[in-house]
Amino acid sequence: MISATPIIIAAGKVDAIVEKFGLAWGKLIAQVIIFWVVFTILKKYAFGPILAMLEQRRQRIADGEAKLEKISRDAAEAAKSSQAIIDKAEADAARLVKEADDAAKALQERRQQDAVASANTIIAKAREAAELEKEQLMSQLKREFGRMVSDATSRVTGKVLNTDDQTRINQETATQVSA
Amino acid sequence: MSIFTLQSHSFSPVLANVHSYASELFEKDSVLGFFTNSVLVALVVLTLVLWFARKATKNMTLVPHKAQNFFEFIVEFLYGQVEGIVGPKQAKLAFPLLGTIFIYILVSNWFGLLPGVGTIGWGESTGFLSVKAAHDPLLRPPTADLNATIGLSVSAFLVWLYLTIKEVGVWGFIVHTFGPKGGLKGIMGIAVGLVFLFVGAIEIVSIIIRPVTLSIRLFGNIFAGENVLHTMSDLMANTGPVGSFLGSIALPLPFYFMELLVGLLQAIVFTLLCSVYIQLSTTHDDHGHEEEHH
Repeated sequence: MISATPIIIAAGKVDAIVEKFGLAWGKLIAQVIIFWVVFTILKKYAFGPILAMLEQRRQRIADGEAKLEKISRDAAEAAKSSQAIIDKAEADAARLVKEADDAAKALQERRQQDAVASANTIIAKAREAAELEKEQLMSQLKREFGRMVSDATSRVTGKVLNTDDQTRINQETATQVSA
Repeated sequence: MSIFTLQSHSFSPVLANVHSYASELFEKDSVLGFFTNSVLVALVVLTLVLWFARKATKNMTLVPHKAQNFFEFIVEFLYGQVEGIVGPKQAKLAFPLLGTIFIYILVSNWFGLLPGVGTIGWGESTGFLSVKAAHDPLLRPPTADLNATIGLSVSAFLVWLYLTIKEVGVWGFIVHTFGPKGGLKGIMGIAVGLVFLFVGAIEIVSIIIRPVTLSIRLFGNIFAGENVLHTMSDLMANTGPVGSFLGSIALPLPFYFMELLVGLLQAIVFTLLCSVYIQLSTTHDDHGHEEEHH
């Protein structure tokens, strides 16, 4: 049979503790209610909104980071594409310059050839004109010389020269002048 | 009303005359008999905490104002600590309680360090508005009242029980506590099962004791702090008015800093222990699951 003495002693010690530390249901419940009021209000009106705000901010930062990454990626791609455009433009420009250079050279050559041809034509025409003029002068000279020879002959000989004589003298004079 | 003092046979009393219980502000047997000086301070703490929380969460913006920034810092820090211990899933459920516990205990502890708390009250009159010592102080920090610390630990215990049953179920909790680990079969399995049955019984005792240890640890530390501060303040009480005045300022000063630290430390200890208890009972037995998969 279990003795009741230890239980009585234990109960006595509990009573002493309760009295020493002022333990009472009313005080305990009052403290619990106060704590639960703090808990309930903080949970609903403080922690909830604060955690939601922190989450919202975290989300915004994450979105911002993602946007920043996208912007830097786009910038890198834009830089790459702009470099490609610049390279293409440079190549086109070089090609155009070369084509222009070639065209200019070809034009210059053609103009030069035209100029040479024109000059040759002018020279030829001038030469022809000079020849023609020379021939005219020569024939005029021959005529004048023949006339002077005929004149001189008729005066020296006192003979009136007929047409045949004149023609013969003129031909001989022209032959000698030409020689 | 009993007076709690420690006396030495060879020296005069050294420890201050600080009650181990909260004093009633009304008649003990009246309807308001529960209204002690610690209940009064608990109400003040409640008001302070809710006022600041309201101030911090009013007109919240993405770019926070000062009060919001400070409260966000505390909440974010606490949430990070709790999440690190109990995990992301349980943190969402357990954080409101653990956060409230930390803030409530910290404010209560530090409130006890304010001048006038524990020193303004009723006692043996020595003149107009003057007493020899405040035997029944007007204000006493709730954490220096065993009723409050037991209330806190019982609340934490109830939430722990709710989270545990919600996460693993009653049977899961029993298996988690008493179930043999290691997957041994045969005679060795029976032997190990008996050992784990015994370990489970010890675990149940330790679970039941948890509210007791939590409440007494907190009460003991804060009550001891009150005693130290009062003792140091009264140490030069018999050296004349000037010596008494200077002694009551200079001697407790270093201990105020220590008590600031103790107040913070006890709030952290209480909160972290509750977190650990929740983590221990809500963690699923991965080995068991692995064995089931095999």
